[in-house]
Amino acid sequence: MPASASTDLGEVSDLDLVKRSQAGDTRAFDVLVTRYRGRIYAMTYHLIQNETEAWDLAQEAFIKAWRALPTFKHDAGFYTWLYRIAHNVSYDWLRKKKIQGDGEFDDERTEHRVAVGAEAAPKGDLAPDTALRNAELGQRIQEAIAKLSPEHRQVIVLREVEGLAYEEIAALIPCSLGTVMSRLFYARKKLQEQLHDVYETSL
Amino acid sequence: MKHPSEEHDLIRWLDGEMNEAERTAFEERLKLDPVLAKEAEQMRALSASLRTHLPAEMKVPHADYFNTQIGVRIAQMALDDARAKQTGSSWSAALQWLRQPWFALTGAAALAVLGFFLLGPNASGASESMILSSYTPNTNVQARAYHDDAAEATVLMLDGLDAVPSEKKVSGIHVLRSEVEPELASTTMYDDQGAAVLMISRDALGNPMISPRG
Repeated sequence: MPASASTDLGEVSDLDLVKRSQAGDTRAFDVLVTRYRGRIYAMTYHLIQNETEAWDLAQEAFIKAWRALPTFKHDAGFYTWLYRIAHNVSYDWLRKKKIQGDGEFDDERTEHRVAVGAEAAPKGDLAPDTALRNAELGQRIQEAIAKLSPEHRQVIVLREVEGLAYEEIAALIPCSLGTVMSRLFYARKKLQEQLHDVYETSL
Repeated sequence: MKHPSEEHDLIRWLDGEMNEAERTAFEERLKLDPVLAKEAEQMRALSASLRTHLPAEMKVPHADYFNTQIGVRIAQMALDDARAKQTGSSWSAALQWLRQPWFALTGAAALAVLGFFLLGPNASGASESMILSSYTPNTNVQARAYHDDAAEATVLMLDGLDAVPSEKKVSGIHVLRSEVEPELASTTMYDDQGAAVLMISRDALGNPMISPRG
């Protein structure tokens, strides 16, 4: 740890930071946390739809990653490995929640405090009405996502947010390719049903 | 869209998972089937909206606190691991020593040392330990710690304590602590003949009490 104390770790590669972390350098791990917390939090938030729980689960994912660092073999990218951990932590939480309740989460949904869609909306000189429509659509989409079952929400996040290929999704869940495609189809159909007014009028 | 293969075709076309021949064939079907074409277009619009409004990266609320909490939990885990691995070690003994009432009498009325020991996730030895901070309520007492490679132990040094009176010629200490009431404890010091020379305990109000003997 003293060796890294005087070094700016912000530009250090994941590989080097992981190696330092594996040697017990918590400052190096802190840099990795800073580097990926936004992506991991986004994933947990999209899956959980609750800001507080998503924050806690993202933290849990990093803690589990720290514990599991000795087993990290560098044959996969650190983010891919971390992402799997975060996904499993979140999905375990969803499964427990489903067992305890009826699988509906919208009543517990808490919005991320940064306006929904604001981070992804195109920057620039949007007309006020366009910006408002964007924000409203973002809100509608988040509400529709929250009403999906955990399985459907999972494939939507993995495909639409993370851009994973079918084979990667199947390996991560894990399930067959056919199941991935069926879940994606029905998840999108359910979203379409909930947002039919948006797409009926716009097309 | 009743048949699963048709559902899969639409999804695979939408997600770009078809090869060139499959894509061409499916797009021919779209030209001939306006219902399918409309559904495909609506799904494509939905997909575009999802990608726009579900950001892959979000600002973490209280981001600094997020990192700090992870650091604290890692430190706590390391401390727990160290405690589990070093039960009965000199470090545990040192902690035990700090808690004894006679210690208060010898000069540091109240002294606590807080040490976070950061060990690696595969902490197999104490050589990777590190003191993050220490704290002594009694400002006359200075705490410092270092790792002794030869002893394979973390050594805690307390400077500023009053010495045990030399005329007592203490050569051994025995500490008794109540199992059910941690505040009930007594410390007896022995000379080299095994005779008790000083007993320290607390009265009903918790004040230190010395019983000179021998």
